[in-house]
Amino acid sequence: MLRKRLFVVLGFALILFILGACSDEGSSSEGTTDSSDSDSSKDKVELSLWLTPQWKGVLDSDEEGADYDSFFNHAAEKFAAQYEEYDVEIDVEVIAADQRDEMLNVNLNGGTPPDIFYESVFAMGDYAHRGALVPLNDIVDEEAKGDIASNYWDTVTFGDDVYFYPYSHMPGTLVYNADMFKAAGLEDYVGGEEEIKTWTLDEFDTVLNTLKEDVPTDKYSNAYPMGLYALNTQGDTWNLAYLRMFGNPFFDDNGNIVLNDENGAEAAAWMKDINDSGLTNPGAESVSSNDVNAMFQNQQLGISFTNSVLYNNTIADMESGNAPEFDARLANIPSESGDPLTFTYVTGAAVFDTGDETRIKVSKDFVKFFSSDPELVKSSKNGVPVRTSVAEEFKDENPFFAAYDENAQYMFSFTGNVPGYSELRQVLYPELQALYTGEKTPEQVVEDYQTKGNEVIESSRADSVIYSE
Amino acid sequence: MKVNRYALKRNMTGYLFIAPQLLFFLVFLVYPIFEGIRLSLFKISYQGTTFVGFDNYTALFSNPVFVKSVINTVVFVVAIVALTVLFAIFVSSAIFDKNAKYVSFIRGSYYIPVMVSMVVMSMIWGFLLNPANGLIPYVMRELELPAVNFLGNKDLVLPVIIFVTFATNVGQAIILYIASMIGVPKELFEAAEIDGANRKDVIFKILIPLVKPTTLYIIIINIIAVLKIFVVIQLLTGGGPNNASTTLMYFLYNNAFKYNQLGIASAVGVIMFVIALLLAIPQLRTMLRKE
Repeated sequence: MLRKRLFVVLGFALILFILGACSDEGSSSEGTTDSSDSDSSKDKVELSLWLTPQWKGVLDSDEEGADYDSFFNHAAEKFAAQYEEYDVEIDVEVIAADQRDEMLNVNLNGGTPPDIFYESVFAMGDYAHRGALVPLNDIVDEEAKGDIASNYWDTVTFGDDVYFYPYSHMPGTLVYNADMFKAAGLEDYVGGEEEIKTWTLDEFDTVLNTLKEDVPTDKYSNAYPMGLYALNTQGDTWNLAYLRMFGNPFFDDNGNIVLNDENGAEAAAWMKDINDSGLTNPGAESVSSNDVNAMFQNQQLGISFTNSVLYNNTIADMESGNAPEFDARLANIPSESGDPLTFTYVTGAAVFDTGDETRIKVSKDFVKFFSSDPELVKSSKNGVPVRTSVAEEFKDENPFFAAYDENAQYMFSFTGNVPGYSELRQVLYPELQALYTGEKTPEQVVEDYQTKGNEVIESSRADSVIYSE
Repeated sequence: MKVNRYALKRNMTGYLFIAPQLLFFLVFLVYPIFEGIRLSLFKISYQGTTFVGFDNYTALFSNPVFVKSVINTVVFVVAIVALTVLFAIFVSSAIFDKNAKYVSFIRGSYYIPVMVSMVVMSMIWGFLLNPANGLIPYVMRELELPAVNFLGNKDLVLPVIIFVTFATNVGQAIILYIASMIGVPKELFEAAEIDGANRKDVIFKILIPLVKPTTLYIIIINIIAVLKIFVVIQLLTGGGPNNASTTLMYFLYNNAFKYNQLGIASAVGVIMFVIALLLAIPQLRTMLRKE
């Protein structure tokens, strides 16, 4: 009898424990404001900051223990030390770029978004359209507006509001193996070490064909002239750039895709042609940009894609002995007109609408702090600084800043700031796969992409908080 | 209604013992099913939810990628389950009565892939098959064989995924079959031998009929597992080329976590649940009737 009662009591205790654990979940989770901190008279605020891999280290990637979260951990410490209103603790988490939307959607639907997200603006614009971000107008002061050029503010403004505080930007270019070029007898096509080389489209074709024929196989076994990929959305901005090569504007004034014309089809045909002619790595339809980048680092590609941060990381990997050392230099994406095609990823922090006014306020204060503190903004040199003052200060240290600046006149907006850009990205790569496998002709591809893409834009526009305002 | 207090009191301990499990079952299995059905009737955005009736289902059936994913899933289920059952019966019936050490060796060999994570297996297959820097395409190039992109050819990609999944899963079925076959009474084999039955007769007339419950069990668990096939698609092909290898689970995942279309994703979940139920009910009924 005693044993039976013991079981009954234990059974109830177990159920109560389970129910208790479930009901406690909300109150014990991270990211709450808590006034019971015994060590300090200030209320405690815990924030979460997510970022995708950007640059390693606080100021330089050669610092000891340099990692992707080093800068934000350092900034968080510095912020907490000087912040008077609250005792702030910031948990920094690095998220894989291809997991970003999954992680954010799950956490948004579960009501637990991060407080701050540092990422390229193009990838996060949808969250502004969906009403998940708070405007940052109140933390942008005249000093910032004066130091950061207006085109960067245009990129981070949706409707009338600023949703991202621009920090740095990453211009996208091509990168080539100058040693491989020289080995193939292409010395005339090699640019200077601190130059972003511009080839005409004819020169580019010559380069690709010469690399295919004349690269010595004993030195570069299993190597291909150029990297091409279409497995998923990774690195799709370069594919978008190739589609503009023959002069197609991509978006019209109303923000609709207009790829389906002669120039668009010609660009798609060019991509198909270099793939079929063996001028690229085989199987582009099932190769990712990560694969291509790894192949370039292993000297299996003559030309690949890069951006300013990726290029710095590639050079750092070579210097630290993590990758084979060779002479990697930058080049522009060519076009039929002869003008280079350039784009840039403006990166910056956004603050999520968590519904907690205190956390939103502290998050905004932190974003303003690290985006304007004279010491912390220096780290933006790991990309290209959006602040003129920082770019000026480091122009001697990084001669590419001047080259990127010269390229800026050829820049195009690859997102067109259209709503639903994340879903729009999911439409492109299946069409490119159909192109490379021969399932569709170039004309069909541009037509189908335009139809499906415009459907996505139209339905996202209907749901956009910004458009509904 | 008169409550039998004595019976209730006597059974109370039992109910309390199963209560925690029952609670988990209700909260984590039954509730999500009903919540999924409810969500499938709504359009869900960050700002709120709107009742749309069966619009999500209508949108699904007019979406060619969804139709493709249904066809692919059915192909995977039929091919992988059939291959698994046939191959497992073949291997098990060939070895179940051999030396115990030999049986253990074969059983262990086939079971190793089951123990390895599907993620690891997919990455290894990815390393082998990647058209740009994979081992198999490299060897084929060196041997000057025609270039074949196993993951990028829409006619080859399904057989490749079927093979990879089958090779990873078949060990489980072999283990179950061998255990079941070893349990078949020896007298039946002796009687068959006296009657002059050959090996083929023994397998088809004694072994296979007597391990039928195991066959049914293997079919059910494999149908349910293959319906949810996801990891290998995500890591090897990303549903490509041009959605040629997309499956229901992958389609659901994309809608839920990439496009943030929770209503559509829930509708896919409900359809998968119905398919699994329809496929499993006849098998379950047969199994329960026998027992």
